Order: sequence, then C-alpha cells, then structure tokens
Amino acid sequence: MVPVITGAAICPPAPLLARKLTGRDPVIPELREACTAVVTRLVRSGPEVIAVVGAARRTAIWPADGRLDLAAFAPALGGRVRGPAPPLPLPLGLGARLLDEAGYRGPRLLRSVGSDEPAAACLRLGAGLRGLGDRVGLLVMADGSARRGVRSPGYQDPRAAAFDAALERAVRGGDLEPLRAMDADLARELLAAGRAAWQVLAGSMSGRVTAAELLFSGAPFGVFYLAAWLPGHPA
Amino acid sequence: MTDAASSTDTAGQRVLRLGGRSFGPRQRLVMAIVNRTPDSFYDRGATWDESAAMERVHAVVGEGADIVDIGGVPAAPGAEVTIAEEIRRTVPFVAAVRAAYPEIVISVDTWRHQTARELCVAGADLINDSWGCWDERLPEVAAEYGAGLVCSHAGGLPPRTRPHRVEYGDVMADVLERTLALADRAVSRGVDPSRILIDPAHDFGKNTWHSLEVTRRLGEMAETGWPVLVSVSHKDFIGETLNAGREERLAGTLAATAVCAWLGARVFRAHQVTQTRQVLDMVSAIRGDLAPSRAVRGLA
Repeated sequence: MVPVITGAAICPPAPLLARKLTGRDPVIPELREACTAVVTRLVRSGPEVIAVVGAARRTAIWPADGRLDLAAFAPALGGRVRGPAPPLPLPLGLGARLLDEAGYRGPRLLRSVGSDEPAAACLRLGAGLRGLGDRVGLLVMADGSARRGVRSPGYQDPRAAAFDAALERAVRGGDLEPLRAMDADLARELLAAGRAAWQVLAGSMSGRVTAAELLFSGAPFGVFYLAAWLPGHPA
Repeated sequence: MTDAASSTDTAGQRVLRLGGRSFGPRQRLVMAIVNRTPDSFYDRGATWDESAAMERVHAVVGEGADIVDIGGVPAAPGAEVTIAEEIRRTVPFVAAVRAAYPEIVISVDTWRHQTARELCVAGADLINDSWGCWDERLPEVAAEYGAGLVCSHAGGLPPRTRPHRVEYGDVMADVLERTLALADRAVSRGVDPSRILIDPAHDFGKNTWHSLEVTRRLGEMAETGWPVLVSVSHKDFIGETLNAGREERLAGTLAATAVCAWLGARVFRAHQVTQTRQVLDMVSAIRGDLAPSRAVRGLA
C-alpha cells in the first residue's frame, strides 16, 4: 500500500484555545469551534497515526501521553503537571488537547521542531513524517505574526500583514511552495513563532496542491490565526 | 475552579441556606441595605417613601444583590419606634418585595420577635438581629417559620444604645463566646443550623479599636465553621480611622470589605451594591474561587 498523508489540520497554538483560560467569558468560541471542526475532519480522515507538530525550543519527540500544563498559564486552575515527564510545549499540549476533545484514541506522535531549525531540517522532518505509517494525519499547530497592530503582543510591524497574507494564500490555495521559502529572519522579527512548523508541513505535503477549507482566518487579538483543513493525497 | 487554591481555608465551612437558595463556602454574598426609616445614619431617609424604597430594591437587584435587608428602626438612639410602627413600616413592604421578587432572599433587620413574626409571615427569609438576641424569643420565631437568624455580638448592650467606656479583656474572645453561644442556643430552639450566621457587629458595643481588632481577627470567626456576616458599610469606626465624614467613607468601607472577605466572611451588608460586588468578585478571583470575567492578555 502506498503511504498517504490523509490530510493536515491547522490550528493556532494560542493558549486561549483552552476554554478555561479565558475565564467566565468564552471570548472567541468561533475560533474553538473552527479548530474542533478541522480536527474532527482530521480524525475522520482515517489516519492510523496522527502527528502533532509545533514549534518549540528544541526538536524532540515527546511522550504520547504528555499533557499541557494549564497551571503554567493559570495557577488557580490547578492541575499542575507533575511526574518524571516534563509538560508538553504549548503547541503540542494544545494539539494533544484538541485530539482528546475530538475523541481520538489512536496512536499519536508529538513532534516539536526547534524554532531556530533551518528550513532544510524542517522540510526533512516533514518528509520523515510520511514514513510513520500507511495513513498519516497531521495536526499542525502554527500561526502567523503577533505584530499585526498596535495592540498586538509584539506591537505593530508594517510588514506583518503582507507576511500573513502570503501565509493565508498558500494555505487557502494548497500551494505550499511559499512556505518552503519562508524567510526565517523575517518570521522571527514578526514574532511568527510557527515558521518552523509551517515548513515541516511543507515538507510533509511536498509537491501537493490541494485547496484548503479555511474555517477561521483573522487576527482578533493582534495575532494572525488560521484554522484550516488541507485534504491529503497519496504521497 | 479547583480545590488547590483555597480548600484549606474553606474547609469546615458549611452550605448556607437562605430562603429556597443554597450558597457554598466560596460564594460571597451582597446584602443590600434598604431602610424604611426617615432617619438612618447614612441614607437619611432616602427610602422612607415606599415607592422610593421599592425603586431601591429594583436597583440593588439589578446591581447583583443576593439579599435585601429591610429595616424599620435605626440602630442609633433616637425617637422611639413602637412595634406597631415598625410593623407598619416594614411588613407591607416586605410583602410587596416578596411579590415582586419571589426568589430574592429577604432579610429583615429587627431585634423584636413580634415584628419578626409578622415579617416572616410576609415572606422574610432571614432575621438579621444586630443586638445579640436581646429579645430571647427571636429564635423561636425563626424556628417556627424556617427562617434564618443572625447571631451578633453587641457586647450585651441593649438595643439602640451606644457603647460608653466599653472594655474587653479580649474582644474577639468575647465575640466568639457570645455569638457561638447564641448560635448554639438557636439550634437548640429549633433553628435550622444551615440558616444561622454569626456577625461581629462592628461598632455595636465596640469602640473603633475594638472594631479594627475584630476585623483583623475575623478569620477566628470563620474558623468556627459558622458563616460570617459583616456589616461595615460607612460605619463610625471607618470614619474615626480615616477622619472621614459620612460622605467620605466609601474607600474605607471597601477596604474593610476586602479584608473581611479575604479572612472568610461570606455575607456583606452594604449600601453600595455595585462597588461591593466588584470588591468581592476581585477577592474571590484573587483567592481562586472565581475565574476572571474575561482573560485574554498574554493568551492570544
């Protein structure tokens, strides 16, 4: 059987995806619904394994039963992750939660990619994911610039909008070539922490041109988010 | 939220039942003052007129009051208010509030069992006696009507008198001894234990130093497990502490409210409902008993 990528779900690694973190106000339920929908699509695409990919300090594979340490963001919520295994990096922790919430019980690979990993290494990591099994699903936890406006976490950078627009165009059209050529320095300056993860995605779906279903696109809090489902094709 | 934040502090605290409602140890309740008097110290008769009083009820309910506390006799000495007059001032009004708000908890500020009985018939849920059960028949009325009872410390002073050269070897010890004895007696007379509160009664039988002391040591009352009610709003101990006139005591009131909340008080008798609610919600959030209303900062 020819290995296939069943598809890639894309969600932003924003802590506020965790419902409890926004307090009594759901704040942005539509974003959570969009993420739930794309992850549900992923689970229903019939993967034998799902790889969760996100940028973090270092490139590593994390314990599949790892969890997000919500208490790191909201100590009052308790549930501090204890034990020998360190808590998951934010993107992987959120991704793992999304899989749990979608009812996914199958095998998962939690793969972080170092934020400073050069493009070639990211692409290689992505290509490697294709070898995980005959039917591999991807959950890519990545977003755009956190410098979209004066109220953004990183304040305004006039280059941010164009950067994010290019990102959205690539995903929307399913043409991932521009992701391979993402400017790492520019991404760093624009606080686009997901750059390395985007390039892992590009490596994993190399050469594919698939129109995405975009369920969310925007920068409601000054950080550019996409929630999208990229259907896969045989590799 | 989780048990992590404050389980140790609220351990032993019981569910408080008022009317048909139940309140857990982590809920902090606002009891809004509605005076049916022409001469109460702070509002000076603003709600003496019945329609003004009902407007006040509408307002405080809208502002999030959990309880309305209706009284017809000022605490301070002054012209006598007979039982008949007290009943005339309060009973029809309580009935009207009950009709307008079937679910709201109605507290009645009285120390006289005759008035209390009529008020319970009219729909009161809680008898808020600030005078340390001077009228020993109050518990039997509460028991008969299934109402709650506030057991407060007035240092043995008769109703509507001011403290004069009062002294205590240990004011908090006296507060605990008297209020716990009253609570036990109320239980023995048949009052539902889940409907009993204790109140240090700031300024009642106390000088300013005493009221500051019971505030500082309020945690000792909370540790008894009885729900603690505090009534500090605009009182003289705040005025004397801050050298603040009657119109200048809101900041002091809210500071005392916050400290009492932190130390475990659960019901807060107040004139300003909105500000008190905000203070209590802030304290609840700091303690980890209430999630922030809306948190986005740093989480996008």
